[in-house]
Amino acid sequence: MSGGEATLFWILAPLAVIGALGMVLARNAVHSALWLVCTMLSLGVFYVAQAGPFIGMAQIIVYTGAIMMLFLFVLMLVGRDASDSLIETLRGQRVAAIVLGVGFAGIVGAGLSRALAGTGAIGLDAANENGNLQGIAQLLFTKYVFAFEVTSALLISAAVGAMILAHVERAKGEKPTQVDRMKARFAPGSYPGPKAGPGIFATSDSVATPARLPDGTFAERSISKILPVRELTSEESALKGTEK
Amino acid sequence: MEDLKAPSIDYAAVAPILILFGAACLGVVVEAFVPRRARHAVQLTLALLATLAGLVVVITQASTRVTTAVGALAIDGPAVFLQGAILVLALVSLLLMGERKLEPGGAFVPQAAITVGSEADERQAARAPGLTEVYPISLFAIAGMLLFVAANDLLTMFIALEVFSLPLYLLCALARRRRLLSQEAALKYFLLGSYASAFFLFGVALVYGFVGAVDLASIHTAAAESDRDPLLLYAGLALLSIGLLFKTAAVPFHVWTPDVYQGAPTPVTAFMAACTKVAAFGALLRVLYVGFNGLSWDFTPILGVVAVLTMIIGAVLAVTQTDIKRLLAYSSIANAGYLLVGVLASGERGLASTMFYLVAYGFSVLAAFAVVTLVRDADGEAGHLSRWAGLGRRSPLIAGLFTFILLAFAGIPLTSGFISKFAVFAAAMEGGQTWLVIAGVISSIVLAFPYLRVVVMMWLSDPSDATPTVSVPGVLTTAALAIGVAMTLLLGVAPSLLLDLTTGAAEFVQ
Repeated sequence: MSGGEATLFWILAPLAVIGALGMVLARNAVHSALWLVCTMLSLGVFYVAQAGPFIGMAQIIVYTGAIMMLFLFVLMLVGRDASDSLIETLRGQRVAAIVLGVGFAGIVGAGLSRALAGTGAIGLDAANENGNLQGIAQLLFTKYVFAFEVTSALLISAAVGAMILAHVERAKGEKPTQVDRMKARFAPGSYPGPKAGPGIFATSDSVATPARLPDGTFAERSISKILPVRELTSEESALKGTEK
Repeated sequence: MEDLKAPSIDYAAVAPILILFGAACLGVVVEAFVPRRARHAVQLTLALLATLAGLVVVITQASTRVTTAVGALAIDGPAVFLQGAILVLALVSLLLMGERKLEPGGAFVPQAAITVGSEADERQAARAPGLTEVYPISLFAIAGMLLFVAANDLLTMFIALEVFSLPLYLLCALARRRRLLSQEAALKYFLLGSYASAFFLFGVALVYGFVGAVDLASIHTAAAESDRDPLLLYAGLALLSIGLLFKTAAVPFHVWTPDVYQGAPTPVTAFMAACTKVAAFGALLRVLYVGFNGLSWDFTPILGVVAVLTMIIGAVLAVTQTDIKRLLAYSSIANAGYLLVGVLASGERGLASTMFYLVAYGFSVLAAFAVVTLVRDADGEAGHLSRWAGLGRRSPLIAGLFTFILLAFAGIPLTSGFISKFAVFAAAMEGGQTWLVIAGVISSIVLAFPYLRVVVMMWLSDPSDATPTVSVPGVLTTAALAIGVAMTLLLGVAPSLLLDLTTGAAEFVQ
């Protein structure tokens, strides 16, 4: 490694590891995904630094840019309050997993560092002789053409599988029509008017602040269920002296 | 830069793989265009025809010994034989999957996305016809397996592994009855399978670090000639083996097997027990015999320990089981151990006996699961062993057939189980692995106990009210059961038919 590459490595490698640890340890799925983005970006930069610009950019654009963002959207749509239960079903499982995981990482790390001590990169220039992208294309369309084509089967089964597991077909009559919905809306017990919006006060314009009804009570329906109710201090809820 | 030359592919040699992939894609299209009522018949016919066509082509290619697609695929004796075996066993499994007489709508759920236990779920469980997408998905799995046993470099092998694993994960989740169990099984299989694939990929990376290539011939050469520290190669082989041993359900990578075998729809369990074993052992044989045969002194003791553990733990845990599917799952784990003995016997004898064992076991296990689909009550299959008490009085024919299969599993002479165990143990003795044979014989004795317990229970107990009736099987299940039992008997009394075939096929090309 030259000086510049070494510097890059020692800055980004800890970031990548921290990102990976953060992904595992974060309680919130969105935070996990963002930690993973951090790791993937670092890896992408490593690939570029190791003379693999195409795979590096693909990592950044496709994996980090497209797939992880799509993943984030899905998480947001599903609802960010869906947190995992952290109850251990097998006692001592977490400790055992940590010990074994660290042990395995230690063995592989020690083995690799022993096996690779003093080994330099071989054949890098030959691989990139006609350009990096052309080199990859040559391999994909000659030596690995069968494997490359077969990945399409993987994608088809993934798509079919996703549809089977997620798509619910509704027969006619099962799906509520416009008329049904209108009837339900005006049925006794439901409030047909628009819901009150979250409150806006001089000291707080947060969406977590509930609206106030004419009698001064909070309208619980005005804020999203997953947001914690923001309690106003007595100072905040007191009249501001602007009514004169 | 010079022009790219299109790689030459021996299309005749890879035709079985292409036929299966093509039929699977066609099946997806059928799903979109054929009216719902006709779909099941069309899909089943298509799947059976494709498998049959693949089998015919494999037979015409029986003497092909080539590497093609720039060395990515090796269509040689073991590959052709194992492809044929996978196709025959898959054909029988497809018959089981297509059965719709036993339960209105078949063994598969009509809509997997409907919440379990909801009103709509109860309605669909009662009568709606099952998913027909299972056929193209199974075809993808079969095609992936065909590719897996022929892959001559580790990258192609990895992709083939994924191609056949993903459909299997899906199929596990589609049981019509006990859907939560089925979904749990699929999730477990998926998560653990992904870990195993990651290990395999990690192993490929380490081997690449040592060899500088991923094709098995280069690995063989580098292992023999390189004077570098072979630590990377050993670590790579260890991780590769973890990935492959997971699929073969060897101890300590077996924990998924009982849960998945129990939760998956029974035809899918049969498919996994028969075909996945063939594919996984085919790849393991190729990796160990072609790529790493120079290291056999190094890996034999370790894999030997795995084999002994697999045989002993599988057999001992089978004794304690109370569910027939779990019992068969542990028995399949123990059988993976016997197969590993054959693998470690090395040489042509080891290869031939392992291939024989795979086919013989495949037919028996298919027949066993065919019987499991038949013994049922109003809530579906009656899995608990206590329910099987007195079955011999109620339906002597089915109980008789099941007894015969169990005796074959136990290795009684005149069944294929005896010949196949004898073949692998003899090969292991010849290869100097006496300790494996001793462990194998002990494990066989232990394993005979749970089988005989079921036999005793079926014949010597009185039927109670809880004894379920045996449903009258449809044509498809009857055919599958008949083929399985007939082959178990045939390979027991006239094993030379298949033994000659395996011996003739027992040579890898480099």
